[in-house]
Order: sequence, then structure tokens, then C-alpha cells
Amino acid sequence: MASSDKPPTPYPVRGDDSTTPGKPMTMGQHVLDKGAEMMQSLKPVKQMSQHVCNFALYSHDPTRQIETHHYVHRLNQDFLQCAVYDSDDSHGRLIGVEYIVSDRIFEALPPEEQKLWHSHAYEIKAGLWINPRIPEMIARPELENLAKTYGKFWCTWQVDRGDRLPLGSPALMVSPQPVNLGHVKQELVTRRDDKYNISTEAIRLSRVEIGEPEWINPQADYWKNHGKGFAIDINTTEMKTRAPFP
Amino acid sequence: MATRQAEVPGEPTQAGTAILETATAAIQGFGPVNKIHQHLCAFHFYAHDMTRQVEAHHFCSHQNEEMRQCLIYDSPEADAKLIGLEYLVSERLFLTLPDDEKKLWHSHEYEVKSGVLFMPGVPGLIQRQDLDKVCKTYGKVFHFWQADRGDNLPLGVPQVMMALTRDGQLYEDLAQKVEKRYGISFEKERENRAQMTGPSLGVHPLANGGGKGLKTERREVDVQPLDSVPRVFV
Repeated sequence: MASSDKPPTPYPVRGDDSTTPGKPMTMGQHVLDKGAEMMQSLKPVKQMSQHVCNFALYSHDPTRQIETHHYVHRLNQDFLQCAVYDSDDSHGRLIGVEYIVSDRIFEALPPEEQKLWHSHAYEIKAGLWINPRIPEMIARPELENLAKTYGKFWCTWQVDRGDRLPLGSPALMVSPQPVNLGHVKQELVTRRDDKYNISTEAIRLSRVEIGEPEWINPQADYWKNHGKGFAIDINTTEMKTRAPFP
Repeated sequence: MATRQAEVPGEPTQAGTAILETATAAIQGFGPVNKIHQHLCAFHFYAHDMTRQVEAHHFCSHQNEEMRQCLIYDSPEADAKLIGLEYLVSERLFLTLPDDEKKLWHSHEYEVKSGVLFMPGVPGLIQRQDLDKVCKTYGKVFHFWQADRGDNLPLGVPQVMMALTRDGQLYEDLAQKVEKRYGISFEKERENRAQMTGPSLGVHPLANGGGKGLKTERREVDVQPLDSVPRVFV
């Protein structure tokens, strides 16, 4: 009925305007929001402590590539959870969620689960993964740790294909990899570099000494190692109920 | 059905890691996250299984007057697990969606009018001004972490979730647990919300799975050969 690897039924309100459809916020709504915000603690979202800018590829079609903005909350030394947006400004669209685990945790996952995860070593060493506005020297010790982690990233809003609202089924995303199909397109990197006034190439050179993990589990990066990506289908089914529905 | 709290595996955060995160938290911009201004508590159930129900803490921001995006956690605490996300759209935007997309969205009318969807910490009179709008919206939710079945890590594929649509669906003990924790009464709030109205054209028949369950399945797809694109120097 809906599949992450098939284009959705064309959404009528298309066009070059990539902004989310809908009327601008009213003053009344702003006032309401401000008032309520003062009374609520919003604790979980205040735990995000890092902004990471990165690139991701669709597992079912790695030629489709996006710039991502991860807002990272570390739960412990081995586990992070990230809210992922398509930009770092206040209009950023929430496009998905990524979870990051240490190699220790990854190795304990069942093999079928491991297929849904991707490695991070290459994108860190290639300078694609950055903490905007943070000097490399400060980020470095942590990058050494993160280079050994694996991630699982579900994308629920395929903005790169022009969807003005989140349509269809979640797509599994994967990381850039050192194969032709896994390289990030130059224009995406250049655009990112221009925005932050950095050079990904220079960053890559400065990260040459970051240790490669001794071993990257071949169940991860399944598209690269086994030629298969994953799509998610949503199908109609009988619902198990305890009361009438709907 | 009680939620089991499964502990996420892992060592406590090390000092070196904490140093970076102190820097990043102080120096970096958190644009889209800073826009999150509202905490909504509600219940979701799995779109293929109404007997599995989850307390869902939404942290929401507006894209504009008609569209919101929310992060969903399993609790409102600092160690809450990020279990999913939800998008909310106005009735007007919902009606522009293609028909097969509409099935993936659920109505909010019952949850709001029954009182079970609420804003913790906010007085009723103020909540109701916003919830009056939420009452007319539709939502699309995915959960990625089935903590309710004891998973201490986000395993498996995304799950489509649904919202309550009538009396009798929500587990009594789940409702009471939340009422007690926040010192509120859903019944009382229902009376206060009696004047609220849902979507102006009524709940769309295609929403809420079109009345049927929804299940996600994963499927392997062939990826084109690795060297089928030219090499780039990145």
C-alpha cells in the first residue's frame, strides 16, 4: 500500500516552493506557545548536547543523498539517540531519527537486526561528519570513539524528492562508504562547505591519524557488502482489538 | 498493559566524552530543537494490535500554523528513550493528501474530547485553547523502539501507530496510572471539553487506516552495482 522505495501518489500541491504548506503562525498561537512553554519542563529535549552535520544515502538507492543535521542525546557511553533535521535553522524539517551504538553493543545484536545498521568509520575519516563551529581539536577524542560506532537511521520525510509533507513509509538510510556508489556527490559537499566556511578535504587530511576500527562487522552496510538495500512496506491487515474500531 | 522499563545497555558516560558535549552544548546552535515548545501526553497503540498501548510523550514545534512535528519519548524525564515521531496537520492539509496516504494518518478528535490527550503542567483554561485546534487535526506516527515489549534497544522495523478513537479502547489501569501521576481526571477534563469540535467535515473515512489495521514489513531490494557510478574524490 505504501513502500519507502516507491514514489508516492503525486501530492497535488507541488512546485518549486519547497516550504511546508500551511498558513503562517498567528500571533495568538505564538502567545499560547510561549505561555505554555514557561509552565512545562521539556526535559528530554534539553538533553541534546551535540549538533552533527553529516550526509546519508537511501539504502534502496544510494544515488539519492541528503545532508543531515543530527541533534544528539547521549544516554550512556555506548548509546546515543538523535533527532534528524534537513537543516540547522529554525525552519528545519524533522526528517527522521538515528540511533548510534558502540561496537560492543552492535556485536550482541542478532544478525538479521545488524543488516539494518551502518558503520561510521569512513564518514568520520572522510571529514563528512562534522560538529559545526567546534574546533577539530576539541571534537577529536570523541571522533575516535564514534568512528567505532554503528548507526540505524529511519527517514520519514523524503524532502529530496520534493515531498512538501511527510508522505509514505519510512526509508532506511545508510552511510557514505569507500566505494563509488557510496561516495557523496561533490556538489552536496561543496554546498555544505560554503555554508560553514570549511573544507571537508582539509578536515579529511587532519583526520588521517584517527584509527580505523580493527574490524567492521560485514552484516552492517549490507548494501555495500551484499548488494541489497531495504524497503519498508505498509500493508493493510486485520487489527487485533479489545474494543470496536474505529 | 503495564510498560516494562528496560534499561539501555552501556557504560556511564566518560569524562572525555562529557568535555566535548559541554563545548558543543555551549557553542553550537540548536535551531530546530530550540523551537520545541510544547509537551503533550497521549496514548498510542500499534496499528496492527490495539492490545499493545503505549504512553507517548510528545515534544512539539510548529512548522507553521497548520503543521507541527513532534519527537516522541517514553517518559518526560532526562533519561527518556526517543521512541518515535509524529507529524500533525490541519484538516485542510489532510484533505490535500492522496487517498492512499490518508490511511496512514489518524484523527485526534476522540483523544482530545475525552481528555486523555493533555499538556502536563498547563492549566486547563490555557491548554484548551490549543487543544481546540489539535482536536481538528490529523496525525501520522511512527515508533522505532518497542520499549513496551521490553526491548532495551530500538530493534526491528518502524511501526505505524494509531490513536484512540472511542471509549472502551484505552486500558483502565494505564489511564489511572497517568491520572494519578499528574493529579488529573480525564473524566473531569472531558466535561470541560464538551464544546470542542473535531474536523469540520467529520473524521475522514480513510483516516485511521480506513478502519483496518496496518503492518510494516521489510523487503530486500537489489542495489545497483557499486561501480556503476563514476568515482568521485570524496
